Amino acid sequence: MNTATDAPVLSVTGLKTWFHTRDGIAKSVDGVDLEVQPGKVLGVVGESGCGKSVTALSIMRLIPPPGRIENGQVLFKGEDLLSLSPTEMAKLRGEHISMIFQDPGSSLNPVVTAGNQIAEMYEIHRQTAARANQDKAIEMLEKVGIPDPGQRASAYPHELSGGMAQRVMIAMALACEPQLLIADEPTTALDVTIQSQILELIRELQEQTRTAVILITHDLGVVAQMADRIAVMYAGEVVEESDVTNLFDEPRHPYTRQLLKSIPVLGANQDDLAVIPGRVPSLVDLPGGCRFAARCEARTEVGLAACTESRPPLEAVGTGHKARCWMYLDNPP
Amino acid sequence: MTALIQVDRLSKHFPVHVGLLRREAGAVQAVSNISLDIHRGETLGLVGESGCGKSTLGRLVIRLLEPTSGTVRFNGDDLTHASREQLRKLRRRMQIIFQDPYSSLDPRSPVGNSIAEGLRVHGIINQSEQHEKVGQILDRVGLQSAHAQRFPHEFSGGQRQRIGIARALVLQPDFVVCDEPVSALDVSVQAQVLNLLRQLQRELELTLLFISHNLAVVEHLSDRVAVMYLGEIVEITDRDTLYREAQHPYTKALLSAVPVPNPHLRGEKIILQGDVPSPLNPPPGCKFHPRCPIAMDACRTTAPTPIQMRRPVEHLVACHAAG
Repeated sequence: MNTATDAPVLSVTGLKTWFHTRDGIAKSVDGVDLEVQPGKVLGVVGESGCGKSVTALSIMRLIPPPGRIENGQVLFKGEDLLSLSPTEMAKLRGEHISMIFQDPGSSLNPVVTAGNQIAEMYEIHRQTAARANQDKAIEMLEKVGIPDPGQRASAYPHELSGGMAQRVMIAMALACEPQLLIADEPTTALDVTIQSQILELIRELQEQTRTAVILITHDLGVVAQMADRIAVMYAGEVVEESDVTNLFDEPRHPYTRQLLKSIPVLGANQDDLAVIPGRVPSLVDLPGGCRFAARCEARTEVGLAACTESRPPLEAVGTGHKARCWMYLDNPP
Repeated sequence: MTALIQVDRLSKHFPVHVGLLRREAGAVQAVSNISLDIHRGETLGLVGESGCGKSTLGRLVIRLLEPTSGTVRFNGDDLTHASREQLRKLRRRMQIIFQDPYSSLDPRSPVGNSIAEGLRVHGIINQSEQHEKVGQILDRVGLQSAHAQRFPHEFSGGQRQRIGIARALVLQPDFVVCDEPVSALDVSVQAQVLNLLRQLQRELELTLLFISHNLAVVEHLSDRVAVMYLGEIVEITDRDTLYREAQHPYTKALLSAVPVPNPHLRGEKIILQGDVPSPLNPPPGCKFHPRCPIAMDACRTTAPTPIQMRRPVEHLVACHAAG
């Protein structure tokens, strides 16, 4: 691993994004630390409501009210994105940091052709001539594997299949060769044979350009296939962080362990699937101790008082492997 | 094993109308010429990608849709040509569970009411009997009888899907179509619902048609599996044979495309080129040939008929290269 030689493209520390709702403050992201190196893929996994998408939107500074970034630092190549003015941030978006979303159908502008939407990227960020922009857009469409790109450039989004529309989104996102790409469930709306095409495409382009990628997904299979490092999120926190092989070979946090046992795996011939009892705590009324304590299998065995009393820190449990669990700490309070 | 459901050369075409005069411009061939049996007490998995016709087939089998041609027999009775009255009696014995537990329940009606609706339709109008049956079935799916008074918004996604299951099972059907019942749920909740379905299937000796795009989920629950592509069944066999010795190139590609949660198995994948063609204008010959890595000349002109592989168990494959 050459993590020591490469300074991270992005490093997030202590990020807190809260939503001030009528029912109270929903602590969607509550102290998240993340880091991603150039040319690497960081997978962020978790179930609905764990804060993975809100983390991504916070990095992009696209949090809608009543949400607010309360605290923390988002260093992009050493510069804190949270201190930039909206204009400075807008310049950065699309050029240096890009994002692709789950549903390409609703993220593309329905009344602008695929080619023009990509050309617009060059128009805004490069101020080059319209003619040249069109040519580059067609070049980009070819790069993302769209057959007959000259023709397809004049197609409107509704004329494209889901897989094709997602390719156009990727072409737009990568048009200006950003240093960071955030992909939020990029293949969730696609069929499996199309999903494997798109994942392969992201991998290929990312290796060519050494773009750092944050891949957000609920699918443990997708991160196992794509990511170099993985952060597992639960109730607004990162509960485990490790390189991909370690995470699957030796998961340390009880949530990760229980989650891995609960999914049906192709060819595994499981009998009953393990069930995680109970449900995710409400984000407006989080428990004082470990947020997973009420559902934790290990806690019933080990039975530490700390689990329900104070919030565990994310600490090293091995080389390049961190977990947020009192079990691994020498002196729990 | 005897067949509870016999599907014989079933087709469903949806006409497509264009323009002001709604001229018929063609037809989407959602299901073409499918024959299969579903045995009593088994779970038949039906997999395929979006638009392959799997949900249409599921609805045809319980006659929520009228077929264009072909017949469906339920326990020997012709369902396709049954009169309204006969159909109403048969319906009691076949039910369906939908994908989205949010839109399939009436938000303004207590869930007990939604569950009891089937009872009322089928003549069980005694209030206390309804009450008792609703309570029993809620208990059976892991909820409490007190939950009957609550409204859908008071439940989580997993609980709503349990209510959907309760509603399907309250009439004690023999046959249930499960149309993507866990696709809208989070992984940890999905496990609960899958375990429940499996347990209920065994205890109540239900016959299930389990429709899903998720191959791992289908494998987990099914006894036999049918793979659909563009309105046709390309391969059907028992679960273990399908997952170990798939013969059709589409099945192989589908299995290889599933992202496995194991970073040590990153190896080579079969990546299919292109998109699924439109069912409005399917390719001639074998419908899979434009994306097939092993397509031959015959595939471009002649549609393959399903052939039985040389093995003791049923294993039908619709491919010129099979055998």
